[in-house]
Amino acid sequence: MNTSHQRWLLEQLPQWERDGLLTADAARTLRECNAVDESQPGLSQIVMGSLGALLIGSGLIAVIGYNWDDFSRPVRLLFAFLPLLATQIISFRVLQRGDAAAAWVRETAALLQALATGACIALVSQIYNLGGEWPDFLFWWLLLSLPLTWVLRSHAVAIFYLIGIAIWSVDQVGYGRPWNDSSLLYPLLLLGLVPYWPGWPAKAPLSISVRWVMTISAIFGLCSAAVFVSAYHENYYTYRDETFLWLWTLTAAALVLFPLNQVGIDESTGRKPQVVLGSLWLLGYGVAATFRDVSDDILKGASHALKLPLCWGLLAVLLVFVLLASTRKRWAVLAIASIALLPLISFPFVEGKSGYYSTMLSWLVTLHLSLIGLTLIVLDFLGKRGAPRLGALLLSVLIIARMADSHFSLLAKGLAFIVVGVAFLTFNFFMSRRHRQPALPIA
Amino acid sequence: MKTLPLIIFAIAAIGQWAAPLSQIWTHEQTLTQGTLIKLKCSAPDPYDPLRGRYLAVRPEQREVSVPSEMKLASGAPVYAALTTGTDGLATISSLSLTPPATGDYIHLKTGYTYQSKASIQWPFERFYINEKLAPEADKWFAENIRSDKGIIAEVRVLKGRAVLADLSLDGKSFREILKERVK
Repeated sequence: MNTSHQRWLLEQLPQWERDGLLTADAARTLRECNAVDESQPGLSQIVMGSLGALLIGSGLIAVIGYNWDDFSRPVRLLFAFLPLLATQIISFRVLQRGDAAAAWVRETAALLQALATGACIALVSQIYNLGGEWPDFLFWWLLLSLPLTWVLRSHAVAIFYLIGIAIWSVDQVGYGRPWNDSSLLYPLLLLGLVPYWPGWPAKAPLSISVRWVMTISAIFGLCSAAVFVSAYHENYYTYRDETFLWLWTLTAAALVLFPLNQVGIDESTGRKPQVVLGSLWLLGYGVAATFRDVSDDILKGASHALKLPLCWGLLAVLLVFVLLASTRKRWAVLAIASIALLPLISFPFVEGKSGYYSTMLSWLVTLHLSLIGLTLIVLDFLGKRGAPRLGALLLSVLIIARMADSHFSLLAKGLAFIVVGVAFLTFNFFMSRRHRQPALPIA
Repeated sequence: MKTLPLIIFAIAAIGQWAAPLSQIWTHEQTLTQGTLIKLKCSAPDPYDPLRGRYLAVRPEQREVSVPSEMKLASGAPVYAALTTGTDGLATISSLSLTPPATGDYIHLKTGYTYQSKASIQWPFERFYINEKLAPEADKWFAENIRSDKGIIAEVRVLKGRAVLADLSLDGKSFREILKERVK
């Protein structure tokens, strides 16, 4: 349950007590279980604080952009350092106040200091006509702003950092770059946020907005690293699409299996963006792999990727994540993540055949996805946590995919599509009726 | 109040000062003690969203001969020895992997190489100008781009580091020319 839901629940409790819906003991238990951590800023606080800081910071940068030609160099340098000093003093005061400082004040101070840092570097490089492209500038700006997320626990600066490193990483996908100036730095940059989250000792769970930004940043950053290592030279530089596609799939599997504590596991899927986005990619990839041509490309890609250190790094991370997920009995995500590893199982069966032309992988994936679909339905019927509609959808998509590449006539295919559609709708209707049960009393 | 966050904050704050201050120190050293060299260049007028208007300075010399025994990868750092001609304009006469024992030189990166030539990436590329002067700079540039005199980049060079000090036309500072035109 997120903070806004908890606040709503706490507001309702007195009324429910008066109405006799809850006993005093039950209300107390609910209050204790859903206590809102007031030190965590609400979304509106972050937005308002960040907006104010952004406006001031952007104004500062625009004033600098004007380029005050009439002032001497020392005076212009003073313009650069004064806002930085002022924001550092404000942040220091906020830090001194510790938990007594309001969340929005902390956010505003941190963001202002980050923006003043950027403005200072920008003005110095303007005064001295420094070269360098904007990604170099962004890189140093991000590194100098990162500690603010650790000490001031600023979500706005964390979001700025996450977006910034993703943009930087995508831009660093270039031919012939050294590894230490390429997207391969992204994992290290992401690890820079560890003191912010999870922290030591572990801090409060991340807000849903930061979770989404972190997941999307990780997807762009890690995927750009995969593209970077997939470059090769053959008269001219190019990338092996099939190689980085498999690396993307391993990344998706790692995201889906990202270790969670029991509280995280018990949360709804919608609050786990890494599971939502990773599963979407893996299921889409799985359905695509049921087509023979695509599965051949995947095998080629996996064979090339296995020569890359990044691939072995991803496989090592996956191994650790699989072990952790197994101990937590996360069978559903393990089943979905295992789609990424099917090419490895197929290798012994296609070895020695001309090229990779084999139906092995496409049939293996079809079987695997069918089993996942059926399991998701059966689990629900057994009274366990399943996803019957997703299961039915998966089976329907598989049937449609197989019909699409079959040699049946258009009429037969059309009729099959109608039958599948009707069956899907009927199943959906049946599940709606099955789940329509009277609500349980709260106490 | 906890001590560790304060220590981290202090280190971060010092870092936020140290990064620009180190740039200022090295560039001031070059500007005050460096040798002045002049390079013929072209300068169109783009815009940087964070740092405002600037002239993209592109010295005319884009390629340098590479000794046959020197193998250069794209982006390899090299030392470029500078020679001043009778017209007072400097050019790169040779490349080496170690700093030349005598004379002025610039530390720069090479781009692509083909046959016995390598393209070079000059370490300066921007000359920031006042927003008010920028439209006039654009107009002036269009009028003078085809003149024989050309735009001259005045660069200070010290221990391989190069700092763009000014642009000039016919011995007159670029900023002065523009200010006179704006009046």
